[in-house]
Amino acid sequence: MANYFNTLSLREQLAELGKCRFMHLDEFSDGVEALKGKKMVVIGCGAQGLNQGLNLRDSGLDVSYALREGAIAEQRQSWKNATENGFTVGTYEELLPTADVVLNLTPDKQHTNVVNTIMPMMKQGACLSYSHGFNIVEEGMQVRDDITVIMVAPKCPGSEVRAEYVRGFGVPTLIAVHEDNDPNGEGLALAKAYAVGTGGHKAGVLMSSFIAEVKSDLMGEQTILCGMLQTGSLLCFDKMIEEGVEPGYAAKLIQYGWETVTEALKYGGVTNMMDRLSNPAKIRAFELSEQMKDIMRPLYNKHQDDIMTGAFSSGMMEDWANDDAKLLGWRADTAETAFEKTEAGDVEISEQEYFDNGILMVAMVKAGVELAFETMTAAGIIADSAYYESLHETPLIANTIARKKLYEMNATISDTAEYGCYLYNHACVPLLADFMTGVTAADIGVGLDLDDTAVDNARLIEVNAAIRSHPVEEIGAELRGYMADMKRIV
Amino acid sequence: MTGPHITLDDLSVDFDGRFQLHDVTWAIAPGEQWLITGANGSGKSALAAVLAGEGDITSGTLSGLPDGVALVSYERQAELIAAELRKDDADILDVISDGTPVAEVIADGCLDEQLAEELVDTLGLRPLMDRAFRKLSTGETRKVMLIRALTSGPDLLVLDEPFDGLDHDSLLWLRGYLTDRAKTLPMVMVLNRFDECPDFITHMAYVEDGRLLHQVDRADERAFGELHQLLHLKTSDLEVPAGDPAIELPALNPDEPLVQIKRATVRYTDNVVFENLDWTIEANQHWQVSGPNGSGKTCLLSLITGDHPQCYVNDITVFGFQRGTGESIWQIKQYIGYVSTALQWEYRVGTSLRNVIISGFYDSIGLYTRSTDTQKAIADDWLALLGMTDRADEPFNAMSFGEQRLALIARAMVKHPPLLILDEPCLGLDDMNRQLVLALIERICAGSTTTVLYVNHRTQDHIPGIDQHLAL
Ligand SMILES: NC(=O)c1ccc[n+]([C@@H]2O[C@H](COP(=O)([O-])OP(=O)(O)OC[C@H]3O[C@@H](n4cnc5c(N)ncnc54)[C@H](OP(=O)(O)O)[C@@H]3O)[C@@H](O)[C@H]2O)c1
Repeated sequence: MANYFNTLSLREQLAELGKCRFMHLDEFSDGVEALKGKKMVVIGCGAQGLNQGLNLRDSGLDVSYALREGAIAEQRQSWKNATENGFTVGTYEELLPTADVVLNLTPDKQHTNVVNTIMPMMKQGACLSYSHGFNIVEEGMQVRDDITVIMVAPKCPGSEVRAEYVRGFGVPTLIAVHEDNDPNGEGLALAKAYAVGTGGHKAGVLMSSFIAEVKSDLMGEQTILCGMLQTGSLLCFDKMIEEGVEPGYAAKLIQYGWETVTEALKYGGVTNMMDRLSNPAKIRAFELSEQMKDIMRPLYNKHQDDIMTGAFSSGMMEDWANDDAKLLGWRADTAETAFEKTEAGDVEISEQEYFDNGILMVAMVKAGVELAFETMTAAGIIADSAYYESLHETPLIANTIARKKLYEMNATISDTAEYGCYLYNHACVPLLADFMTGVTAADIGVGLDLDDTAVDNARLIEVNAAIRSHPVEEIGAELRGYMADMKRIV
Repeated sequence: MTGPHITLDDLSVDFDGRFQLHDVTWAIAPGEQWLITGANGSGKSALAAVLAGEGDITSGTLSGLPDGVALVSYERQAELIAAELRKDDADILDVISDGTPVAEVIADGCLDEQLAEELVDTLGLRPLMDRAFRKLSTGETRKVMLIRALTSGPDLLVLDEPFDGLDHDSLLWLRGYLTDRAKTLPMVMVLNRFDECPDFITHMAYVEDGRLLHQVDRADERAFGELHQLLHLKTSDLEVPAGDPAIELPALNPDEPLVQIKRATVRYTDNVVFENLDWTIEANQHWQVSGPNGSGKTCLLSLITGDHPQCYVNDITVFGFQRGTGESIWQIKQYIGYVSTALQWEYRVGTSLRNVIISGFYDSIGLYTRSTDTQKAIADDWLALLGMTDRADEPFNAMSFGEQRLALIARAMVKHPPLLILDEPCLGLDDMNRQLVLALIERICAGSTTTVLYVNHRTQDHIPGIDQHLAL
């Protein structure tokens, strides 16, 4: 199998990367009709498998689970998930031959193996769906000609997929049809019905391509979403300790700080996050972020380039073949860091204090979001997509750090994201070393000494204009507007 | 200020077998000015009258009452008039009598003539001084009663609805005058309307069914607000708002039960919650469900609401849908209103109080659909009923636990669902908030055709009208 993207001509590559359209609610007026009465069989009952299945069933669809023999025989967690939730569970042989739609929700690393196993058992003209296109795009999986291949990718961890559905809403979702595998032209109808079944249509659906999804998803998760938060956590913590900040306080400021400052992103983008700072602090955060953007730009470019050429995925696949040596080594290193090992102190930190004493964290979020967005769009990814894969998902990942620090983040995200996160961190920590020597406790841990909040008018105007005119703010305002139009009243 | 130190200890009082006060424990310390509130017929006037020595003590003790207690009340007023009429009857028939003149009634027991003269002028009674007392209007009689009480040199003034029946000017004057006197004279006042409560009142007592249920220090703003709200719910004549006429549910078959559960079993890998449970709920049959913790009450209810995933592996028919035959969960939820502590925990969406109530029309946590003007108006009517009109735009998650619970009950009921499920609606609430919630539920049950399922293991939180019982 060859990297599918690399088999395309440049013209085709650009066309695929540029596919992205925000769909309107009225395009979903057929509801789940295209899937009604069809037999949907999910492979794997983990984070996405269980939660998507619960939603689809609650939307009136017929859902059951095909698990590998070992999972059933040993009554593993995946078996428990499915059984305790009242689903029919069976082996591939029992369930796949009659399945109309097979949802492959196993870890990406297993996809080649899983798809090769299940394909011969699938009936003529059935549909195979993914929630991430890695297998098709990076590994070049060839699926039988009669099978329709679609993707329905919620832009959220599985737990959120369920929680939002139960609230009567959904999570933003990306759908795509693999054009080489759409023999009956029904791929789009099936993908739309599936998105309705998970509730995604209420929060906004992007009609995209497998390629655009993979190349943007990988970029986002490696850089701003996971990598930047990990690097930021480690650097900020060590700096505070060096500056004599009480360790329990430092650990708490970081563990809950990401969640608190990025919550502001949800409501009003980078602008609103920056507006939560006092004027002098805002100017300082702006300057720090400008410096970091200059330093990190080559790294962001390298990540995007490696993702585009396939160098990233072949590197990761080498590690798969090498029993995940790098992944496991980095995972162990992370567990040994001072931040991970220091318990958050029992100190009260007010919401505003997270901003005031976390100027550097705010600057890192701003730098990461803007750089990821700039790099993705420069590589031909449409702004809408780049927004979802950078700014939009940051608060969702930040929530996981609040739960149980970096351990929880890396356990919640996919293996691919975890690998990419460590890869980024490994390069970014040394890259910022010099920059960090210029940072003080006023930037992280203690806050500015604000006896005098005076600022230069001209400078403030300049900074505000720069923050507000960044392209991620423009598309962000538009997409959040759609969300409100799809009528989330927050 | 010095004054009497009055103590009622576990006091029960009988009023001619017509009314009883039960087990009242209450202390009025020097310097405190009390207001007694409660709905009509609650016993608030009776409690005030006890201070003036009325009623027969059947148990407990009453101590520290001063000698001079002056009481102004409708009952006293009526008694005086009745006495006047009796005098008429007793008179020799050939002497034509107009009864006692006003001047004489005022002079009777007056210890401060100068003050009496002043008050007669201020209250505009001067032209009536020669008129027969029994020929006065109600408002005029009330003024005479007030003058008698104020000039009798009282040690304690007990005023039962003193503002009732007074014209506007007199009312304003009286408020000011009482405020002045309150600096040196202890008072206990009975008022139906909280908004008439004078500023000098320092403490409040709330009476219900002949019992003193709450005592609140006015400095405790929160408790004061809650008491205000409780009184509002008990006494306001607002109706439970109607549903949204624009939302039409697919009609239910009247011959079918709302819910039919057959041999239901819920089990996890390591335990069985319940087995072979049968339950049929007919329309308009109200149920109370009880059972110890862990007996599966919530689990059973969530089989009905569809929130429990094992509803798909049991034989359950709700609102005509056999579960697991292609129906969506929203088709089920449209028939149900639901309140529980878990819902309150899950309701962490940042939105306004009004939107929380409106979200009941859409069975959503948070509001994701543009609501109609009708729905907003209905939500505002609910807020008026709850006594929370001025808080409509406040963020829900900044409200107290009890306020949130009230709002969630309104949310559950806003669409007038065929089935209302109240899963331990009083759980986690203090006494006052429990009563608030019960008062609201009682009003809802009284004014609608909704079938109610009520889970509670506290028997004292009984709701009138619920007659079926399921014990787990
Ligand atoms: N996590 C996210 O935030 C996220 C978001 C969007 C999309 N996705 C995508 O969703 C898909 C699933 O990811 P996930 O995070 O849900 O994975 P996960 O939580 O790790 O769950 C994977 C499931 O697959 C089963 N499984 C593992 N190896 C298998 C094999 N060789 N054969 C058959 N079953 C196997 C596992 O059960 P047993 O080991 O017990 O068999 C487990 O239940 C991926 O394509 C991922 O990229 C994830």
